[in-house]
Amino acid sequence: MPVKILAFAGSPRRHGNSETLLDWVLEAMGEDPQVSIEKIALSDADIHPCRGCNACEKLNACVQRDGMDAVHDKIIEADGIVISAPIFCMGINAQTKALIDRAQVFRSRKYVLKLPVVPPERKGKRLGVFLATAGQNWPHVFDAAIPSVKCFYHVVDIRDADISYLMINGVDEKGAILNHPAAKADAERLGHSTITELKKRLAG
Amino acid sequence: MTIRVLGISGSPHRHGNTETLLDSFLEGAASAGATTEKVVLKELTYTPCRGCNACHKTGECVLKDDLIPLFGKILDADCVALASPIYSMGITAELKGLIDRAQYLWARKFIIKDLYFSSEHIKRHKGLFISTAGLSWDNVFDAAFPAITAFFNGTGFEYYDNIIANNMDAFGGVRKHPTALKEAYDKGRAVVGVLESLQRAEKGVLPASS
Repeated sequence: MPVKILAFAGSPRRHGNSETLLDWVLEAMGEDPQVSIEKIALSDADIHPCRGCNACEKLNACVQRDGMDAVHDKIIEADGIVISAPIFCMGINAQTKALIDRAQVFRSRKYVLKLPVVPPERKGKRLGVFLATAGQNWPHVFDAAIPSVKCFYHVVDIRDADISYLMINGVDEKGAILNHPAAKADAERLGHSTITELKKRLAG
Repeated sequence: MTIRVLGISGSPHRHGNTETLLDSFLEGAASAGATTEKVVLKELTYTPCRGCNACHKTGECVLKDDLIPLFGKILDADCVALASPIYSMGITAELKGLIDRAQYLWARKFIIKDLYFSSEHIKRHKGLFISTAGLSWDNVFDAAFPAITAFFNGTGFEYYDNIIANNMDAFGGVRKHPTALKEAYDKGRAVVGVLESLQRAEKGVLPASS
């Protein structure tokens, strides 16, 4: 059965460490011919920050016309959503935070307007993956990014238990991740296991 | 010398809960004799950090936009209050955009090594975080603090205090909150007093009160 993967490369630096990690995951996913993958680089996606106007609580749509228009439907249609982001200043980078905040339209749909985000038969059949890299070696360097990522997945009907994480610290300069002892193998394993699980759920 | 207090509003929503709380803080600071200025990030034109690391070589950002003069104001201030509502368990993309752009100062401190803040300097420069959140959860601000800490570390400010109020959705806004606006006003007054006494102590006029 076909499996749709939507991936966001959140870094402003193209083909840097977090996007390389993403590419490893996507390549492993793409080994299965039934998997279709779309990767969106946020640096090219023209997604502006949320204006906090709360109009989506009434309109069930965002008042801003930008790159999010195209992304909105893709988020609903995907079976798996992968987000990769670098950690800047102990948090998720601003461009990725803008995407997360724009998911407010889904939060309004779900909690204010009480409308379905995905059709009921697709609930529990969507998976999320969060990939991150950080220059710092501190083990807690990813801690502040995770709550925002969980918010995003939560409002698009991907449960906490259905989010997988691969976060690599201590990689700073472009290409540093290529020398990491485990990142590539872990990324490939995660790509394979995510597709296996998705196919199981979609069949069930 | 007059204490300079800079308030930076990272909310996209003009005159909402967070900016109102910031205004109260700045009014308190002004009432204690400080000169105050408010910058609203939404009104500025700037780009988030590109992660190009050019500043690691030059100590300067390649992006020449409204944040260049703002960083000048930040470094000239005695007290900086960063204000942001909590969106999706974190600060807004606007404020994170400012914080990430401080990378050039990090580069100057740790790579180029032409910038150093002495412990005395840091003690005389106070940073505050002002925030509101709709949710009632006690942990709703937790993921905001590390980036604020990183910003104040990078700019030579002591991360002095938080003025935070959650559960805005239930209160119906900060103006209906029982204590938040007064707390912000009082803390604005108090921090100016502390900074003045530190200035006097440095000049040898009086011992610092703390």
